[in-house]
Amino acid sequence: MKKRKIGKEYIVENLELYSLLLPAMALIFLFDYLPLYGITIAFQDYSPAVPIFSSAAKWVGFKHFINFVNGPYFLRLLGNTLRLSVTQLVFGFGVPICLALVLNDLRARYFKKFVQTASYMPYFISSVVVSGMVLSFINADGVVTKLCNILGYSVKDISMAPEAFTAVYVITNIWKGFGFSSILYLSTLSSIDAEMYSAARIDGATRWQQMLHISLPSIKPVIAIQLILSIGGLLSSNSEMILLLYNSAVYKTADVFGTYVYRYGLLGGKYSFTTAVGLFSNIVNFILVLIANKISRRMLEFSLW
Amino acid sequence: MVKGDNMLNNTLINKPDSKYDHMINNKIRKNTNKNKIKEGSLAFNIALYTLAGFFALIAIYPMYYVMIMSISKPMDVAARNVYLFPTGFVTSAYSFVLKDPILWSSFKNSVLYVILTTIIKLVLCVLAAYPLSMPRLAGRKYVVWFLLIPMYFSGGMIPSFLNITRLGLYNSIWAVVLPASVAIWHIILTRTYFTTSIPNTLREAAMIDGANHYKTLFNIYLPLAKPILAVIAIYTIVSVWNSWFSATIYLPDPKKHPLQMYLKKMLVDNTQFETYSSIEEAEQAIVNQMVKMQLQYAVIVITTVPILMVYPFLQKYFVKGIMIGSLKG
Repeated sequence: MKKRKIGKEYIVENLELYSLLLPAMALIFLFDYLPLYGITIAFQDYSPAVPIFSSAAKWVGFKHFINFVNGPYFLRLLGNTLRLSVTQLVFGFGVPICLALVLNDLRARYFKKFVQTASYMPYFISSVVVSGMVLSFINADGVVTKLCNILGYSVKDISMAPEAFTAVYVITNIWKGFGFSSILYLSTLSSIDAEMYSAARIDGATRWQQMLHISLPSIKPVIAIQLILSIGGLLSSNSEMILLLYNSAVYKTADVFGTYVYRYGLLGGKYSFTTAVGLFSNIVNFILVLIANKISRRMLEFSLW
Repeated sequence: MVKGDNMLNNTLINKPDSKYDHMINNKIRKNTNKNKIKEGSLAFNIALYTLAGFFALIAIYPMYYVMIMSISKPMDVAARNVYLFPTGFVTSAYSFVLKDPILWSSFKNSVLYVILTTIIKLVLCVLAAYPLSMPRLAGRKYVVWFLLIPMYFSGGMIPSFLNITRLGLYNSIWAVVLPASVAIWHIILTRTYFTTSIPNTLREAAMIDGANHYKTLFNIYLPLAKPILAVIAIYTIVSVWNSWFSATIYLPDPKKHPLQMYLKKMLVDNTQFETYSSIEEAEQAIVNQMVKMQLQYAVIVITTVPILMVYPFLQKYFVKGIMIGSLKG
């Protein structure tokens, strides 16, 4: 008898709880799960006339994947994606760490605040405005083009020069994100026990040595995590930024999976084929995350899950 | 996930252990003899401050350049003769831009999208996070899986687009608002906040007093959740305000375009030049081009400076958000 009463309460309680969960779960189902099911069109010849759940859909297996991998654009897209991401990683990864170490050591309080506020600022400027600014600097009569010509790199219009796109993309991304990415390192640095530094000072360590032997080792775990995350994301370049920065003259070096899917899928209407392209890059990306995580677990005894 | 969280937590909070300390001291002792630079040496300070100043300059200068270009004399702007200080104070570009009705309508749209998305997201976060933090939720494991799967796998651009079309939301403002409002990540953040910052005894006391879950949520949890909601709200506001891609895909109607779409048309798309049928037209176009350049700079200043003025006051929320986010991996 008693058990039954608890059971009823339990049901009422859970009805209340699930009624609260319902709106979020419904929207997640609509906007996350339905598109997940929509991936099936990568294995079909999709036509908008045939409803997606109908049995009339034409299944074609891996045709689109095979066509894509054997097609003329596969190597170009893969190469561009990797080149942009790796360059970004090599040149961009250390900048926020460097900034955080410098900020952590600044003694002048207001100057420190100023540098912090200034360097976070680009993060809050929208990608559209950032690209607009960059384009106005690098187009035929832009200030950067002018400077490049003075410095001996003769170029008519940097925004049309395929060989310059990597630099444009990487510099833009670093500029937008370096300050904001430093926050994570900086707050870890500020949690270091001040006694560590005073002990080192008593032993005669200079500030450079303190930075090298106390500050840097203390943020090593955070650096490791960030590195894993960026290696996992090597195949997902910032295609929104590329869409804004590129033009048909630089497709050769600027086109990546995301922009290709946008052009051929959304603008060109090749829905099934580009869904296959997107799925392919998602899967490779996921595998990269798994590998990076495994490596870090083995080498750093730290993993994301 | 959970294992990683704990480890990250430990590494961030724990002090380095003593054997480590010893190692450091040894290394430092060895080095001090040959290295004559003393604590706070001039060379070190100069290097430090120069580097810091350099970082600040890099971050600020492009924006400053845009600002001085927008108010300099049009002739100097066209000749790119402005580097350090504005030449003159010309506001014609501003008055021209501010007269554009499309600027104002897209501005209004952006405000509308920001408000709707933020409100819906906060409501969803609070509603969903509360049951997830309850120990007696039946089938919690399945609910958590339901939330985790979309965080690792997504349909991608085309399936999402076709889905929105099929739901009949194409060219509706809800195509931009609703998908942006469900952020599983933020639901999980709110749940973590509930479980870690609000003591269970508080809820139990309320339940004993006869409150049901709705009452407990609105009278006890909601008022206590303000700090996390502020962080989520501010991140949402910035990301919705700056987003343009979903509008490009889902909103063909220019009347519904947000501010970023207006900016994109003006700043990015104009790189493709139109063809002109006559010489006069082409000349007119060159003049327009000169004016346009300054207009671009004025538009950037008008739409960006307000955000940049407000954000230093909200900076602590962003820092807080990053810390909360990092603790969860």
